[in-house]
Amino acid sequence: MIESVLGLGVGFQHALQPLNLGMIALGLVIGILAGALPGITMLNSIVLVLPFTYLMGIVPALLLMIGVYCGGVFGGSITGILFNIPGDPMNVPTTWEGYQLSQQGRTQYALGLAIMSSAVGGLASALFLAFFAPPFARFALTLSSVEFFSVVVFGLAGVSVLNQSSLPAALISLFAGMFLGTVGTEAQYGVERFVFGVPFLTTGVDFVTVLIGLFAIGEVLEQIVTAQPGVTSARGQGRTVPRLPLLDLWPLRWPLARGTLVGIAVGGLAGAGATVSSFVSYGLEKQFSKTPELFGRGHAGALVASESSVNGSTGGAMIHLLTLGIPGSAATAVMMGAFLIHGIQPGPLLFTKQPEQVYTLFAGMILANILMVAFGFLAAIFFATLMRVPAPILNTLIVVFCFIGAFALRNDMADVWLTMLFGVLGFFMRRHDLPIPPLVMGVILGPMAEQYFLTSMVAHGNDLSVFVTRPVSAVILGLALLLVLAPSLRRLRRGAV
Amino acid sequence: MASRARVAALLAGVLGSALLFASTWPLDAMVPRGQLGPGFWPRLVLIGLALACLLKLREERRAGSGDAAAPAALPRVSAVRLALGMACILAYVIAAPRLGFALATAAFIVAFMVVAGARGAPGIAATALLGTVILLYAFIKLVYLPFPKGDGPFERATLALYRALGIF
Repeated sequence: MIESVLGLGVGFQHALQPLNLGMIALGLVIGILAGALPGITMLNSIVLVLPFTYLMGIVPALLLMIGVYCGGVFGGSITGILFNIPGDPMNVPTTWEGYQLSQQGRTQYALGLAIMSSAVGGLASALFLAFFAPPFARFALTLSSVEFFSVVVFGLAGVSVLNQSSLPAALISLFAGMFLGTVGTEAQYGVERFVFGVPFLTTGVDFVTVLIGLFAIGEVLEQIVTAQPGVTSARGQGRTVPRLPLLDLWPLRWPLARGTLVGIAVGGLAGAGATVSSFVSYGLEKQFSKTPELFGRGHAGALVASESSVNGSTGGAMIHLLTLGIPGSAATAVMMGAFLIHGIQPGPLLFTKQPEQVYTLFAGMILANILMVAFGFLAAIFFATLMRVPAPILNTLIVVFCFIGAFALRNDMADVWLTMLFGVLGFFMRRHDLPIPPLVMGVILGPMAEQYFLTSMVAHGNDLSVFVTRPVSAVILGLALLLVLAPSLRRLRRGAV
Repeated sequence: MASRARVAALLAGVLGSALLFASTWPLDAMVPRGQLGPGFWPRLVLIGLALACLLKLREERRAGSGDAAAPAALPRVSAVRLALGMACILAYVIAAPRLGFALATAAFIVAFMVVAGARGAPGIAATALLGTVILLYAFIKLVYLPFPKGDGPFERATLALYRALGIF
């Protein structure tokens, strides 16, 4: 512990040097802006800055990437809350609640909560990384695809949280999303599934096209067909400039703590990452909430939990990379590239051979999350001013940005076609009472569930009992079952009283 | 949607799931005996989808008999605007590879803004012009996105525009 404190002291000395601090700030700006643009994901932005790091020293290079990483996972929440367009899949649960709060004229409250809970989650995660990385990495190594599958199932079980009007409708949407996730070339045997001779489907349906189409294009169509003469936009209601709700956050301290813990734990599972943690913490929050019926209608606790878990996962994801040399997510895989380019091999020896650089990185993460309050605030003001833009201009530019975002995925017009088709689908789903969030969950989590399930089956000789005989998996699956049964149990309890 | 149309859509969902389910068996042709093949997971998902459709059908029948609450009414839509909006989006995606991103985007901005309710030709023209130029600088000059340049004369026009703007 003392060693960590001393190491952090040295790390802060390095990280606070003007160049290094400037790199963190620059990274935050790039990350937040890129994260906020639909289709330009946090991962895209990390990849984009990688070539610029070749000429830098390792410390400024890594701090730039840390800034992009921390800013990128938060950025998408701003456009989610303001425009119902999540920048990244991980910002989807925040969007569900944040946009509803915004529609109720509480935009500044929602933005403030998102900024503060992101910063607190990220800060706690960075401190955890600094003090407990090695023992946590040893524990995480004992987990396998069995536990990862159970975590994803827990995320999928969250669909029971989302059934605002009809559980069967939510299930149709979820399974349709999971089906879309099976389209394309299967990873284990290389067999094409449901491609029907369409070449671009062989690479599958990118979930970003689904996300942009359903949320952004669907919302734009809804806006233009319901616009009343003389009313500029349904989006521009209430004050939009965020305020920092330090006192408002206190009543939400438990959702904040739970979201942060889930973020650190799930982020620490290799391959799970921020997206899974945001869905899991959202589902878990309903278990604990005293007002579960308000989920999906602007629930501040759910917003805080999912948002803190997203940034909370950043420290967890770094644990594998730094302590074991195994990237736990796509973003940390790119960062590993930066390490290797500069001749540094991440792994157990990193802590003994180059402790200064490791602790500078930890200090950089802490500083990035503190600075994110200021940069998040400024970015929110910038995006909030866009809400004053007349609706016809804003809606038109959103469609153009969706075109660009979809095209940028693979430089392929096929993704643009898919995005626009999902946009039309999203409009009709809204109109016919089919909830959109479960479909998005299915597309994102379905392929993960399949991958972990089949890997587990191969590793354990098709023995299904492995999911309940391994204690961690059994506990997670038990919690998932509880999540699904909770509404019925509550009704039973009310009936008994 | 009228209740009868909803029932028809749900029955189509069940039928579609069944047909897709049947199409999964050949996927496992090359899989060794005792192993789970690439068709296994989609089959699970399609069973779930069919069951969910059946559950929804039961809910619809109950709703029809007055046992369940009707869904909340959404604001009325302007069918003309919907058709025009979708037509604009469709035309944009079709036109972009032929006219090039720059020309198609400028034309789309004008058309969609009019459909979305914008009035005042100077404002619309300025938005289309400025918006397109800023997007070209940001995404071609800075991010190197290889947007479609168009075919034949449109490609030449796009390249001339890029040169005039100093992008190429």
